[in-house]
Amino acid sequence: MTAHTSLRGRHVLAVLASVAAIAAAVAAFTLSGGSPGRAFPALVPAAAPAGWPHLTLPDGTAVLSYPPSLRPVSGDADSVSAAQVSPKGVFRLYLNATPRQGDEQLRGWAAFRLRLLTADDAASAHELAAAQDVAFRGGTGSCVIDTYVTRIGAHHYQELACLVQGRTSASVIVAAAPAATWAQASPLLLRAVAAYQIR
Amino acid sequence: MSLTFIRSAAGAALLAVLAAGCGTAATAQHAATKPAAAAQPRHSAPAHAPVTTPTPPPATTAPAPATKAPASSANPIPQGNGGDQDPDNNGGPSDGDGNI
Repeated sequence: MTAHTSLRGRHVLAVLASVAAIAAAVAAFTLSGGSPGRAFPALVPAAAPAGWPHLTLPDGTAVLSYPPSLRPVSGDADSVSAAQVSPKGVFRLYLNATPRQGDEQLRGWAAFRLRLLTADDAASAHELAAAQDVAFRGGTGSCVIDTYVTRIGAHHYQELACLVQGRTSASVIVAAAPAATWAQASPLLLRAVAAYQIR
Repeated sequence: MSLTFIRSAAGAALLAVLAAGCGTAATAQHAATKPAAAAQPRHSAPAHAPVTTPTPPPATTAPAPATKAPASSANPIPQGNGGDQDPDNNGGPSDGDGNI
């Protein structure tokens, strides 16, 4: 009788152990599959470090500061851009500021940006993170971090694109780098975005 | 140790292995479908800014059909340097223009 009771107790223990193992496995799956996203990085508005050059939008409504390792590059007449380009013409770091031109709105900015990318020069684009009410120097903005592949060259970029609303104007700032090097490039790019000054 | 107990323990271990295997497989499948999943809401709030819920993309993540493009993209800037000298019309990073 005692032996029988002991045997039953071991059976119960075995069942409990299996239930615990299954619960642990399910929990591990839930956690791994349920939190694939990445946090939107903190953007704390701050003046650019000393020695960073500046580019003012032709209409005078915003100032783009960029690291000294970048150089101004050509673009639309009403925009300013700076980039670090390899000798072979590969963009390593890219910053651009452009006055608001179309239907951009703070609300729904992320979706707008992705639609614009795929409608214009990207074969595909995917949102990674987005935030609203992001503080900027002189305004607030909506931002999106996304990746896209260009139609020409199939280059894979990652970008932080923000629509920034100032007191009297709105503009878009874009910071991009090859997706493969985004992790290394993003601190510097985010620093430039945080230094963006709008009026 | 009794044979019955050994059987029970083996059964429990088998169940645990099967459960873990299912979790791994499902996770791998999730990773394989990441392009679609990447566009789903999966943000965590920054310390200072509330996070938006992204609008789900079209059913396909392939290049957006013209019918789903916004009004401002009805006349996209041609690629291959067709519209201007912008890098983004030549395979470079996209600028911040409104595509008008």
